[in-house]
Amino acid sequence: MEPIGVALTLSGLVVLATALGLVWRSRQGRVRHTDGRTTVRAADVPGVRRFARGATLLQFSTEVCAPCAATRTVLGDVAHSRSGVAHIDLDVTHRPDLASRFHVMQTPTTLILDGRGVVRARIGGAPRRDTVQAELDRILTAA
Amino acid sequence: MSTTRPTLAAKPGQRGIDPRSPRFGAGITAVLLLIVIGLGLSIPIGGTLAARATEPAFLLFVVITALFGWGAFAGVQRHPYGALYRALLRPRLQAPTELEDPIPPTFAQGVGFVISLIGVVLQLIGVPYGLVIAAAAAFVAAFLNSVFAYCLGCQIYLLLVRVGILGSKGAAAA
Repeated sequence: MEPIGVALTLSGLVVLATALGLVWRSRQGRVRHTDGRTTVRAADVPGVRRFARGATLLQFSTEVCAPCAATRTVLGDVAHSRSGVAHIDLDVTHRPDLASRFHVMQTPTTLILDGRGVVRARIGGAPRRDTVQAELDRILTAA
Repeated sequence: MSTTRPTLAAKPGQRGIDPRSPRFGAGITAVLLLIVIGLGLSIPIGGTLAARATEPAFLLFVVITALFGWGAFAGVQRHPYGALYRALLRPRLQAPTELEDPIPPTFAQGVGFVISLIGVVLQLIGVPYGLVIAAAAAFVAAFLNSVFAYCLGCQIYLLLVRVGILGSKGAAAA
């Protein structure tokens, strides 16, 4: 290939990677509202007897996930600051069956459940504190 | 290559790493991979095994592959780029605001190792652009990691387990 073609290919690759990165970043932490027809039973979540009466932040993590630790801190803080809200961190590194059951493709993924275990929102990637607070406001006011 | 391999399971009590260190290393890797791609595109693939095994793009790519292997098997804490970061950059920067678990970047090194090893094999058996395509895939991952703090393990670990490429101890179903 001629030098000009090589230079164009290399620049194209950098542009492509930058575009991919921007798309990826813009999707991190975005909230998707669910149709409210999926319910998680407490018995399906290891180590849980019953859900908090207000809402539950159900986080899915793995060992190979760098932002999961920060997510744990954020969600734990939010749960602490509100009454009736609990945070559960589920490590699915060795439990891919759980990841499949809840259609978790990336970590961290957070499901926000209401008091009856209905999935009200789903957040892929590291969630922002204010986003989670706003979702909890929405769910707890409606309840 | 050394056969001593630390267990990747231990977490409590294990020291965290400065999260900027793997991103710095990924930046060096990304630049080197661009050079590999440039060289690979400039020089047509050789007709004989000896020619293919001595092309500059191939030689540099073998070094990068070996460095990925180092990070994957010895752990990212022992990676030469980490030592470079601690010697050159860390003294000029503020203390990190948080430390990171070394397991995710070590996993990413393993993925880089597998992808680049495929490129090495394709080049040796004479597949045109095999090396360039593998290097381009590795470049995108390294670039995203360095510039955007992209976490490869977050995106592909569960996928690999699900399609059965990665086994998982104690899994009830894959």
